[in-house]
Amino acid sequence: MTTGATAEAAAPEQEETPRRRRPWRTIKAGTPRVTRKAQARLGVFMVAPLVAMVAVFLLLPMVNAIYYVFVDFNGFDPDPPWIGFSNFTELAQDPDVWAAFKNNVIWIVIGTSAPIVFGLGLAVLVWNVRRGSVLYRIAFFLPFMLPQVAVGVVWGWIYEPSRGWLNRVLETVGLGSLAKGWLGDPDTALYAVLGTAIWATVGFVFVIFLSALRNVDVDLVDAARLDGANAFQRLRHIILPQIMPVFLMVTTITLLGGFSVFDIVFVMTGGGPAGATEVLGTYAYSSAFQLNRISYGTTLALVITVISIPFAVWMNRLQRKLSLQGMGA
Amino acid sequence: MRHRTAGSNTRGRLLLTGKHLLLLGLSALMIFPLVLTVSTALKSGHDVKVNPFGLFSSFSTENIVRAWTVGDFGSYVVNSFLLSVPSTLLVVVLSTMAGYAFARLPFAGRSLLFYLVVLGLLVPFFTYMIPLYFQLRSMGLLDSLLGVNLVLASTGLSFGTFFMRAFFSDLPVELDQAARLDGASEWQIFLKVMLPLVSSGIGALAVFTFLQNWNNFLVPLLYIPSGEYRPLTTGLYLFLGGRSIDIGPLAAGTLITILPVVVLFVAMQKQVTQGFLSGAVKG
Repeated sequence: MTTGATAEAAAPEQEETPRRRRPWRTIKAGTPRVTRKAQARLGVFMVAPLVAMVAVFLLLPMVNAIYYVFVDFNGFDPDPPWIGFSNFTELAQDPDVWAAFKNNVIWIVIGTSAPIVFGLGLAVLVWNVRRGSVLYRIAFFLPFMLPQVAVGVVWGWIYEPSRGWLNRVLETVGLGSLAKGWLGDPDTALYAVLGTAIWATVGFVFVIFLSALRNVDVDLVDAARLDGANAFQRLRHIILPQIMPVFLMVTTITLLGGFSVFDIVFVMTGGGPAGATEVLGTYAYSSAFQLNRISYGTTLALVITVISIPFAVWMNRLQRKLSLQGMGA
Repeated sequence: MRHRTAGSNTRGRLLLTGKHLLLLGLSALMIFPLVLTVSTALKSGHDVKVNPFGLFSSFSTENIVRAWTVGDFGSYVVNSFLLSVPSTLLVVVLSTMAGYAFARLPFAGRSLLFYLVVLGLLVPFFTYMIPLYFQLRSMGLLDSLLGVNLVLASTGLSFGTFFMRAFFSDLPVELDQAARLDGASEWQIFLKVMLPLVSSGIGALAVFTFLQNWNNFLVPLLYIPSGEYRPLTTGLYLFLGGRSIDIGPLAAGTLITILPVVVLFVAMQKQVTQGFLSGAVKG
């Protein structure tokens, strides 16, 4: 290590990029002890408020969550009885939990794949557009920025049975027989809410893909075009491999979002009709705050997090492997 | 690569025009719900009853006035600012300081603390929201501006620190070495040399955090049970539950809720997008 440091100090001109960041060890070796002490003192001072906030509002409630899981807390009892794993066994046998879990799975599958397909399509469309691309970016990304309560209200009108735009459009194109109260029908309610969520998520996926596409080698795409590859083949074999790490990252984010979906369902249907749109998030909320089953709700919330962790880790690993390969190439 | 004849050039132009037409159509489809909100919010009372979702068939400001006064949206707006501004300032100040320390000031236990902070990015708010309710109750922070601001800030701190740390890490080492030779103290190096260089990052973080806090629904829903200091998001939800048939004022309330978001986003589109991109790419 010391030889590395001296070699670098002896021949700084040989560096390819003069502003490249040097390894930390080099800094330390060149920093006098007084400075190091002053730096450490200031460092602790600057981190302290953050650490205090994180400890009180993040770590403490997380530790409490683990405690709540093993007791039967109703919100008032200062010394709730210890019940071990009863919350978990009850959870595993609760048909409502499984129904909600099934809805989460549907949500994760459709709510991840649809925005990725649409978002990628839009990004490829806007990719080489020069004029007006800011306009498109605003139009597509804006829905993602809006508060979900407002989104829920407006889409409630679009799905409205008698005067809503969806049914009106269906009647205009001669599909009036399909018209229905989309949010009131247990068969369609979940998919109607999902449709709204997809509308809101597409822009997020689009913006990320668009920025990833900027790094794609255009000459390679042109060469493939001259070789007679059609649009789909170019996307599949030339573009996608180059943006794979970003593709996996977007998948992870939307997929994990599907585990903890809450706002949009809570606002649009509240879990109804007859539990048709109940997801784990709304079920945990109503258990804790409407039925005063604090511990049961907390257990459910904790389980949601725990089952989502393997997905996050797996995706992250795959992504890291791919981006390392990308750097080697 | 660019050996194109005149014929394929016209074809290219036609293709581009078609592409623009398609994109314009899709854009219109994407912002249609917004158009619908504006249209219904600006209808006359009679028109709302007869034809609530017909586009721009009448004009009146009575819905806005009713939402603002009878619907209490006037005070919701004030509360939204009272909850979003202090929490955003707190996130920006604490994350900038901590981001700098984590990037450039070595001290014992630094990486351990950083991992603890990053934990906040991995664990969803959802996991600990229920115990946090009882914790706030026992601390006397339920239903208080202070409590909700602190919670809102804490949900943004992990990301903020991560975000600012990346900016500070990218600055060259020669900078602080030169300043130190000129006799600047460590604090002066941070304040006078480094801070101005990351101002674009601070701007992006501020806009991004403000929008997140403004849009937050779950935090005020859970931790302002009495309804004092109720912001626009939960206010709109309450209005939806109580008078969903009152479509005119409901549309006006929706418009009031989203208008600051739309204006801020369109004005600072670059910064907001940057915030999301780096959050996603590095997170």
